[in-house]
Amino acid sequence: MDEEQPPGIVLTEAQKKKRRERSIAIALALGVLVVLFFAVTLVKGPAVLNRPM
Amino acid sequence: MSIVENHPLTLPPRISEAGVGDYIALLKPRVMSLVVFTALVGLLIAPGHVHPVLAITSILCIAVGAGASGALNMWYDADIDALMSRTAKRPVPTGRVTPQEALAFGLILSFFSVTTLGTLVNWVAGGLLAFTIFFYAVIYTMWLKRWTAQNIVIGGAAGALPPVVAWAAATGSLSAEPIFLFLIIFFWTPPHFWALALFRSDDYARAGVPMLPVVAGPDATRLQILLYTVVLVAVAAAPWALGYFDAVYGVSSLLLGGWMLWLAIDVYRRREGKQAVRAARRLFAFSLLYLFALFAILLLEVVVAAALAQFA
Repeated sequence: MDEEQPPGIVLTEAQKKKRRERSIAIALALGVLVVLFFAVTLVKGPAVLNRPM
Repeated sequence: MSIVENHPLTLPPRISEAGVGDYIALLKPRVMSLVVFTALVGLLIAPGHVHPVLAITSILCIAVGAGASGALNMWYDADIDALMSRTAKRPVPTGRVTPQEALAFGLILSFFSVTTLGTLVNWVAGGLLAFTIFFYAVIYTMWLKRWTAQNIVIGGAAGALPPVVAWAAATGSLSAEPIFLFLIIFFWTPPHFWALALFRSDDYARAGVPMLPVVAGPDATRLQILLYTVVLVAVAAAPWALGYFDAVYGVSSLLLGGWMLWLAIDVYRRREGKQAVRAARRLFAFSLLYLFALFAILLLEVVVAAALAQFA
């Protein structure tokens, strides 16, 4: 008979809520970064890669 | 039999309960708002046209870079912050965010702000932003702040750089105007922070931070505030006298500077009791208004000139 596995780390409701908030914030920040790069590519066109030092 | 049992200590891993608000607090939003405003002025008074998308990108990167500096500052200064009433409730001293989390947050934001500004706008601005973050986090926070009473004088350079970064973002180069903006903020910083330090000197003394009132005493600080304010008024009027900014700015800078100077004289004269504290608080509050108003006038002139050009 298998021995019962210990439950491991169980997050409290507060910890789950905060983790979800942080995850959403990271997703939003990454979304903003993607939109930013896309918008600048549209604005600059092929010149986005032409950046003389 | 040993009293100390030979069992490995198994502590449960720490699960973060830090909210988004705690991470926003790490960015020092109030400082960031001033950085955004001064950078916006640097960007808009620059010659030539900046595409709005690039303007927004530049301001966003500068804001995030400033926030990253704040997070790195809070990571390194958690021991000091815990001892000062003004800063004791920050996320790291209260334990809501661990120092490692604050460090990682600051480093990641520094990397993304600099590389995004460099890649999407230009590398002169990206390099200047990297230097600003380095100067604030390493030169000021790790070195000057705990070492010398001149900490905020030299460290003020970091706070003065955002309009220079923004100008570089708009033009890809530097010239006299952003240097004047830099100098105005640079010479504004000592009277502003020393006025604060005058009525918070107990806090700084408890934390062992060698602010001028702690090291040299309040009277020497009052004299330094007065001298720096005189220099500030002259520096603020210089771009008008030298023909870079117009008369509206010039007269405004003299009027605002006169008021600031009057308050600095008041701080110098009132040395005892509640009146002295009140004078220092008044100068501290007005110095914020002074810088905001000076830059707002430059911003208004650009907006009005653009509006007139549309109708002409």
